[in-house]
Amino acid sequence: MADTDVTLEARRMRFERDAMPLMPSLYSAALRMTRNPSDAEDVVQETFLRAYRGFGGFQEGTNLKAWLYRILTNTFINSYRKKQREPDTVSGDEMEEWFLYDKLGPDAATPSAESSVLDAMPDEAVQAALESLPEGFRMAVLLADVEGFSYKEIAEILDVPIGTVMSRLHRGRKALEKALWDTVRERGLVSDGL
Amino acid sequence: MDCSEVLIQVELYLDQEMTDVNCEEFKQHLGDCSPCMDRAEFQQSLRLIIAKKCKCEDIPADLAQKILASLDAEESTAP
Repeated sequence: MADTDVTLEARRMRFERDAMPLMPSLYSAALRMTRNPSDAEDVVQETFLRAYRGFGGFQEGTNLKAWLYRILTNTFINSYRKKQREPDTVSGDEMEEWFLYDKLGPDAATPSAESSVLDAMPDEAVQAALESLPEGFRMAVLLADVEGFSYKEIAEILDVPIGTVMSRLHRGRKALEKALWDTVRERGLVSDGL
Repeated sequence: MDCSEVLIQVELYLDQEMTDVNCEEFKQHLGDCSPCMDRAEFQQSLRLIIAKKCKCEDIPADLAQKILASLDAEESTAP
């Protein structure tokens, strides 16, 4: 038996000490996955219940955060996402590299710069842009750019090869640039002549 | 490393997934080449903005309690 805890109480204490502090960060990710607070709450609750059931076999010292995100991802994929065929392409595929940089110029993302149209965007507009990406691309970008996981960790969480992670990240980020550009234009944050 | 190569590798560099050898050469190029540096900085800032704006700080107040209650229920039914 892999269980390292002598008693159920010890396991519960260890779970509350190590896993529970990660809950806010999992909720935040769940919200970007499900795009809806009520589903996000359900996914997180189910994730923690599943994690607790499996916690006896979890090796202390291995990557708890990545393990929890893997359960979160599986819970989401199995129970909450709308059943639909994933497109193989994403709207940024046909775009040039450095699309947004070429459109907006070097200062557009500089924090506190007068010309920083991107930093001036409301949070929910940026969230909507991320949430508009097809699931596989959205998950890769979320895990890398918002949650800060490495390629290897993302490969484990999503259960895909590292090459797939890199491709989804590259294409997902380009698609996100396209979505951000559409949003800035729709909201009139830049003139069309730019 | 020339500019076109550097610009392809910016993503790997910002992801901190570059090998140490390439990384030194890459950083040296950025230090000497402001057009490449501008692009790398733009990409870096863009990521920080996305991360900052996509993190949700507003966690439902009772969620932790609900989770702990579901663990209690699990324990009481466990063999």
